[in-house]
Amino acid sequence: MQLQFQQAARALILLAFSSLIFKLHFTGEITKFINPKYESLSQVASVIFLILFFIQITRTWKVKKSSYHHCDQHDHDCDHNHDHGDSSFNTKKLISYFIIVFPLLTGFLLPAKVLDASIANKKGAILALSNQKQAPKEDKNKENSNPPEVMEESNINGQANPSIDDNPVDPALLENQQEEISEEEYNQLIQQLEQNQNIEMNDYVYAAYYEEMSKDINKFKGRKIELKGFVYKEDGFAQNQLVISRFLITHCVADASIIGFLSEFPEASSLDKDTWIKANGVIEITTYNGKELPVIKITDWEKISEPIEPYLYPISVKIL
Amino acid sequence: MIRIIRGHMIDITGIIIIALALFLFSFSSSIKDTFVIPPSWLNLNTIFLSILIEALPFVLIGVLIAGVIQIFVTEEHIQRWIPKNKVMAVIMSCIVGALFPACECGIVPIVRRLVVKGVPIHAAMGFMLTGPLINPIVIASTYMAFGNDFKIAGLRMGLGFLVAIMVAFAVSWIFKGNQFKASIISVSTHNHSKNQSLSTRFWSMLTHSIDEFFDMGKYLVMGAFLAAFVQTYMPAKSLLEAGNGPASSIIVMMGLAYVLSLCSEADAFIGASFSSIFPVSSILGFLIFGPMIDLKNTLLMLSVFRFKFVMVLLALVVSMVFITLMLLQSFL
Repeated sequence: MQLQFQQAARALILLAFSSLIFKLHFTGEITKFINPKYESLSQVASVIFLILFFIQITRTWKVKKSSYHHCDQHDHDCDHNHDHGDSSFNTKKLISYFIIVFPLLTGFLLPAKVLDASIANKKGAILALSNQKQAPKEDKNKENSNPPEVMEESNINGQANPSIDDNPVDPALLENQQEEISEEEYNQLIQQLEQNQNIEMNDYVYAAYYEEMSKDINKFKGRKIELKGFVYKEDGFAQNQLVISRFLITHCVADASIIGFLSEFPEASSLDKDTWIKANGVIEITTYNGKELPVIKITDWEKISEPIEPYLYPISVKIL
Repeated sequence: MIRIIRGHMIDITGIIIIALALFLFSFSSSIKDTFVIPPSWLNLNTIFLSILIEALPFVLIGVLIAGVIQIFVTEEHIQRWIPKNKVMAVIMSCIVGALFPACECGIVPIVRRLVVKGVPIHAAMGFMLTGPLINPIVIASTYMAFGNDFKIAGLRMGLGFLVAIMVAFAVSWIFKGNQFKASIISVSTHNHSKNQSLSTRFWSMLTHSIDEFFDMGKYLVMGAFLAAFVQTYMPAKSLLEAGNGPASSIIVMMGLAYVLSLCSEADAFIGASFSSIFPVSSILGFLIFGPMIDLKNTLLMLSVFRFKFVMVLLALVVSMVFITLMLLQSFL
């Protein structure tokens, strides 16, 4: 019998991958990497690695003419388009093993980090934030005639449906926080947003509300809003300006996009980047680089600690 | 005594390896406080690991599917299924790819196995280009990301299919043979699977999968690291500001799709977030080019195919997507 060091090393690597993924799930750190919706997929990966580990273990000892070492048997006729780990060890192989081990080392040894304002800057935050459909001229004309109408409407809503104002979102819908909702339920959420004078941007509805508000910010002018997020600033902001921002994760942290609202209040200059705050304010409209942008006039705010789940995830709507 | 040890050698090695892993496991928490690491490195590491964690299930499943093909599909099957006519072969492979739900990292080991089994290179490329781009999850996510509108999703699928067919034709004119790397000696695989029992074949499929994982693993790691590096240190802002004209904006968005290396299921939302800055044609460039070839995927292909082949394929896809979008720009 002869110990195959390379085979043993491969077994160790497979087990390490399995346990790294397991560890991330066990400690809950996995939410810092991927959208919890896809958690089960990475659990599958962990289990496959474990199975492969048990298979690999049988190859660590080479017994001559052993019955379980099949690759030896058909070495002459099996397709040799990959390395079986039997060939001799050299520098090139050392490098390729190091490359594979590298993520294991950083995964075990380095802490997971929540993305911060510096990444937001690299992603071109303000470009993403000014994601408003630029209102064509026709719309501007309409806009002039709109405000009284909107006022009227909101008055009616305010009187007729006071209960809706107290209940920002259908509580049943919120409590469940189902992974998938039907299109009907989604439309219901959006309808509630449109009727509410007080918009509460909680984690569950944030992405949906944000998208809806981006479509036509004028509709939401003058409404109260409550939101939380981390402070992001950029060169060119006034002293009293900052962005209360969040990262939206579709699949994994690599596809994070930044969303948030430009906010104005006197104490803004005293707040550092990455400070988490919770704020109330009123939605107004401003222009930034020639684009219409919502700006929130903050009425009151407080510092909070970073939430356990710092990221937002889009609501997935069942289509079929 | 020695005999007992010998008899349980495998179990003992297993236990030692598990103990080693546990040691790493417990050791990991103590080391975190001793070093001061720049936050940007930690950002890089987090993005790097997240790309890996996202891609690993797909690569593993791809490797296992490749193993199943290895066992159950013979060269005779392939010869019977694939039309002799090049045109028919390309069109058929693109349709099969469109029906086959895959992602761009999982499809490379499958394509490699298919080529080993004798699938002509142009058909394999048609399959590889449409597989990740056209599938139900991608259609659904694109539909949702663009405000429940089928226009973008439809254009993405339609134009993507067209580009894939054109690239596959070009490949069929330029290249012959399997285009594997020189280090890969591909001796065709037949007969050994027939006279072995199913369990034996199954077992050898699993061990092959392990070897295949280690082959591709290093390229996957490098690809993920490069993509994460670009995300952490390259300011997208200056890049985006460079794209003013119709041509340059398409190039910028395609470049972005290439370096970000997003999974095709997730990139629709990112693409949608640019729709106010860029015209529809460049958004489509992002959506069509990204799933076909990106940084992570290029490295995976380099683990299988010749450098020259990968570069020519990349150039073909870039130019086809670009030309198609430029021609259609006025209609969009």
